[in-house]
Amino acid sequence: MGMLDGKAALVTAAGGGIAGAIARKFAAEGAAVCCVDVNEETVARTVADIEEAGGKAIARICNVADEAAVKTTVDQTAEEFGKLEVVVNAAAASEPLHTVANMPLETWQEVMDVNLTGMFLVSKHAIPHMQAAGGGQFINISSTFGHIAWPQRPAYMATKGAVRQLTRSIALDFAPDNIRANSILPGAIETNRLLARTPTIEQVRAKMVPLHPIGRLGQPEDIANAAAFLASDQSSFMTGSDVFVDGGFTAV
Amino acid sequence: MGRLEGKVAFVTAAGGAIAGATARLFASEGAAVACVDIIEENVKKTASDIEAAGGKAIAIVCDVTDEEAVKAAIDETVSAFGRLNVVFNAAAYTDPLLPLHELDVDLWRKTFDVNITGMFIVTKYAIPHMKEAGSGSFINISSIYGARAAKKRPAYCSSKGAVRMLSKSVAVDYAEDNIRANSILPGPIETPRLLVANKNMDDVINRHRPHLPAARLGQPEEIAKTAVFLASDESSFMSGNDCFVDGAYNAI
Amino acid sequence: MGRLEGKVAFITASGGAIAGATARLFGAEGAAVCCVDIVEENVNQTATDINEAGGKAIAITCDVTDDDAVKATVDKTVTEFGKLDVCFNAAAYSEKRHRLAEMPLDMWKSVIDVNLTGMFIVARHVIPQMQAAGGGSIINVSSIYGVVGAKERPAYCAAKGGVRMLSKSIAVDYAVDNIRANSIMPGPIETPRLLARNPSIEAVIERHGPRLHQKRLGKPEEIAQTALFLASDDANFTSGADMIVDGAYTAF
Repeated sequence: MGMLDGKAALVTAAGGGIAGAIARKFAAEGAAVCCVDVNEETVARTVADIEEAGGKAIARICNVADEAAVKTTVDQTAEEFGKLEVVVNAAAASEPLHTVANMPLETWQEVMDVNLTGMFLVSKHAIPHMQAAGGGQFINISSTFGHIAWPQRPAYMATKGAVRQLTRSIALDFAPDNIRANSILPGAIETNRLLARTPTIEQVRAKMVPLHPIGRLGQPEDIANAAAFLASDQSSFMTGSDVFVDGGFTAV
Repeated sequence: MGRLEGKVAFVTAAGGAIAGATARLFASEGAAVACVDIIEENVKKTASDIEAAGGKAIAIVCDVTDEEAVKAAIDETVSAFGRLNVVFNAAAYTDPLLPLHELDVDLWRKTFDVNITGMFIVTKYAIPHMKEAGSGSFINISSIYGARAAKKRPAYCSSKGAVRMLSKSVAVDYAEDNIRANSILPGPIETPRLLVANKNMDDVINRHRPHLPAARLGQPEEIAKTAVFLASDESSFMSGNDCFVDGAYNAI
Repeated sequence: MGRLEGKVAFITASGGAIAGATARLFGAEGAAVCCVDIVEENVNQTATDINEAGGKAIAITCDVTDDDAVKATVDKTVTEFGKLDVCFNAAAYSEKRHRLAEMPLDMWKSVIDVNLTGMFIVARHVIPQMQAAGGGSIINVSSIYGVVGAKERPAYCAAKGGVRMLSKSIAVDYAVDNIRANSIMPGPIETPRLLARNPSIEAVIERHGPRLHQKRLGKPEEIAQTALFLASDDANFTSGADMIVDGAYTAF
């Protein structure tokens, strides 16, 4: 018997490293999962992985910053699975490195749109389904960079700080509807995205491992395990929380 | 006209670098200062510096863990200057670097005795005088190690975390008496004490990178200036705050 | 001799209560102040107050979400006063009370635009001027709702959480240029804006209940004093910090 048996979930960015692992974990724990991404190929792979393992999943291509597309995707998920209770908001842009003074306004806006407004839109259209289901759980992916700073990521950090507060706002306003909302703040997680800024994983490790007292980078599965806990009834008194899964990165 | 004109301050560890700089700055801003320390020679030096500069000070030798002695020191302050408005709680024990399983319980207790029980005792006996004065401000020295861990300093880190919550507790319980309490969390400050565990100041800076983006240590006077702000009526709506003065150490 | 003698400050929303009080205090402490607001009448009044009191001020009407207008305003400040070394970013707007699921997308976007993107836009244009001046201090007004949740204000909470991280990002990236950046998180402050949302001051105090430990609201001048500290050289080692000025609201 899985931790999430009988639950219906929607996971954004499910073609990516972290959200892909979350989708696979949720399915393995018994949830039906709608895997959402802008990239058709990667999200199809996540769904194929889940189906091969005997789980239940569908793929939907959707830009989370597009309200009409988000509403269609969310409504179709609820229709397909008969309900929608769990949402993992993980979609985030991967912007090039800039400081405030040299970042183009368009880049800033794009990061705001995907990381923040996208989360607003998915949440907005998911809430009525959660209310109809008698409750729900939001797992919003912030970042340790929503807590502490790092060079040359002003827009990313601003949105990740905003995510923590958006999560608290949802937790507060929808507690009467039995809807919980928590943020996860991952440390450096070994995904392809890390390689967008550093050529090899060895270089990433050389730079980042010493900053993680646990002595390694995180794996997507580390985040998936935390997300499964937050999606399950095991965490039923947790809401509005910041869950750091960072190998001690922010402890030092 | 000084920013602390007419106020009476009780400054513990005033023979040391940070509290010594604070005592001198308080006095130059017009406060009468009781300089308190366990080391007679150092505290007398601070008081005589103040008097030589035309300020008002007395020196009191006192162990903050000794309840009777603290009570007497506070009484002596009030009888010398007529009242008590500001307490700067800075006494701290320099614990040896040891991982937890090698730390004697006696050393653990010693650290807690000085760093937090001493603060409790000073606070306890100062409050009645502040109530009588109609207002008061506690400035309690925590540390960045009250927010982030330092290697091999389990007792120090824990005690400095305790300082933050003691301040908040006092802030909440005595707000109606117009008594405020805030913590200062200094980053690495250039004091002789730093050299106990480090070869030289460059060594300290290098060890703390990347937490010091300006690549310099703080000066005792920079903590003192923050303390003046918190002691003065300029901060009249600030209470229960963690005031980081750390060159962005905790921001990264 | 004022504490900001020789400095030039750029203050957004200075037609409003908090930034207006800040502009007047900065003017009284010797800074030349560029008062910026979207409402011409209000900002002219603030500048007039400063000039009548013997200070130096100009008023410029500008929408902080308009990149070109902000650049022109910053340029004009530098033309007028020769440099720019302090920026107080306070322009903010709050949505009408809505739970997230009922909030229209354009309402969300307008709050994020003014409160978060506006701060980014101001920062990107003042930073080069601060670099040219050899350093500077950026003070961004967040809110206690950048740290804890507020009912029915999802966009405001998200934006203010974003502001907090934006400040830390600037602190880290521009420490090498001797530019500091800090956030102020005001608790409930007695302003006309607050009274527009509530029937009376008593009603606000009542609504916040046991969290307002001093049983009063803060005053705009109390935020101004904190801003003065952060703008002055007294705060030279303070960067990336969250200055919570809330009468212990969030300590409880």
